[in-house]
Amino acid sequence: MTGDPLYLDGVDLTDLGIMLIKVLVAFTFLLVATMFMVWFERKLISDMQNRIGPNVAGPWGLLQTFADGVKFFFKEDLRPENADPLIFRLAPYISAVTAFLSFAVVPIGGSFGGGDSGTVTIFGRETFLQVADPPIGILLLLAMSSIAVYGVMLAGWASGSKYPLIGSVRASAQAISYEAALGMATVVVVVLAGTLSTHGIVAAQSGGITRWFLISSGIVPFVVFLIAATAELNRPPFDLVEAEQELVGGFHTEYSSIRFALFFLAEFMNVITMSAIMVTLFFGGPAGPILFGMTWFWPTVWFLLKVLAFLFVFVWFRATLPRLRYDQLMHLGWKLLIPLILFWLMFISLKELRAAYDWNWLVTYGSAILALAVGTALLLAALRAGDRVYREELEDA
Amino acid sequence: MEQYLPVLTLGILGVLFVLLSIIASRLLAPERSTIAKRSAYECGITDQAAIPERFPVKFYLVAMLFIMFDIEIVFLYPWAVANDELGLFGLVAMTIFAGIFFLSFVYELAKGGLNWGPGRRIQTPATSPERTTASTIKKVGLEGRLNLATTTDESEAA
Repeated sequence: MTGDPLYLDGVDLTDLGIMLIKVLVAFTFLLVATMFMVWFERKLISDMQNRIGPNVAGPWGLLQTFADGVKFFFKEDLRPENADPLIFRLAPYISAVTAFLSFAVVPIGGSFGGGDSGTVTIFGRETFLQVADPPIGILLLLAMSSIAVYGVMLAGWASGSKYPLIGSVRASAQAISYEAALGMATVVVVVLAGTLSTHGIVAAQSGGITRWFLISSGIVPFVVFLIAATAELNRPPFDLVEAEQELVGGFHTEYSSIRFALFFLAEFMNVITMSAIMVTLFFGGPAGPILFGMTWFWPTVWFLLKVLAFLFVFVWFRATLPRLRYDQLMHLGWKLLIPLILFWLMFISLKELRAAYDWNWLVTYGSAILALAVGTALLLAALRAGDRVYREELEDA
Repeated sequence: MEQYLPVLTLGILGVLFVLLSIIASRLLAPERSTIAKRSAYECGITDQAAIPERFPVKFYLVAMLFIMFDIEIVFLYPWAVANDELGLFGLVAMTIFAGIFFLSFVYELAKGGLNWGPGRRIQTPATSPERTTASTIKKVGLEGRLNLATTTDESEAA
């Protein structure tokens, strides 16, 4: 039986108390982390653009986001006359709640490997340092990121205004295009780990950097995941959803006051969660050296440092890369990432099976190269045929 | 099912957070609605063009292709978990399965279903001598403005 040992021997009041503490800690952590993430992003972008950035509210402007948040409460809540009243109100709930829920499966600490199974003891009960460890952890995460698309889609549709509608249609097309690549990059990790539980995935990576799935999956899935995650989060350079020059504010143009703040909050929470997921899937989660004493303390520090590195990368993307055109976005997703990760998935599972059953390496890799050659030839021929169709359409127009 | 208890709790907490924020904002925020505030956003001018009801069919093609790939991913997960036990049989079955999907994907590519390029060539160069401010700048937004005396332009009257 897998899962959090806290609940394995029945659930009593102490268990419920521990669960409540964990949920509250995660909830507060997400809100505070979002606050600092917004500050971090603004400050970092300013540095990269030779500006000072927020520096008035609190030391180094740290309380700027808090001040902004308070201000949102006092702003008038506007709703366009021809907006759908129910769905217009429902959309922020979907966005915010899914953003909270996807963080639930991330293991944020615990020492793995060397006899440790990542448990800590609180009030005499053994438990994992993660909110929940359902057997289908990673599926729950993908489900939440799919449902989050509904928040964006419904917000744009219910606004009864043209910019949000166009923005939301773009957003859904973009999100579903990259979700296929994201899902398949995750399957590669599942093949290597042999489990869907996030705790199991982290445990399978324990024991040194070479065991991290970043290396044993051959880096390609990580790169695909990073690109797809950036697109899924609508972060630059894939922020066509809110391309100011064309779409004003995208799907949340008509939202104001606290409802806008909730979308904003959800967006930044998703950035933090996605970074945490990348750390979990490819960078060993909380893995790292235990320096002195306190075995439960260091893994959490390593985890937070790794997440911070990814947050930096996302801000760096924003400061460096220009926004893609919509056709470039679709071409990258469908014509490059999906075929690439599909091949890589089959290749990794073949590699795993060869190691397990001791197959002849010449036959194994020979068939892989053959499949790659056939697939590439088919793909290139199809791309050429597609180009011909496009040129004919241009001439007709 | 106990493992899902914290997920449920976090979900309830999330809903409460959103609900309380919205209620707090309703209590704190002013309500001074005007016609301009209630109308849809249109960069400061009166809303004229209708909301688009039809979208390029490419969006639907992408949606259909996505459903196909999503179904494939749904089947990939159980296989990935049991990859080691299924061995050669699982790999061959999955390769055939993924191969069929790949073929239909390639077919759509070849038919130009995923072409997103500009729909037509740009006809005149941007610096054509025929292009003047009178031919390119359209005067919009004066019609329908509330309580605003619209000054009629000489060229417009002509």
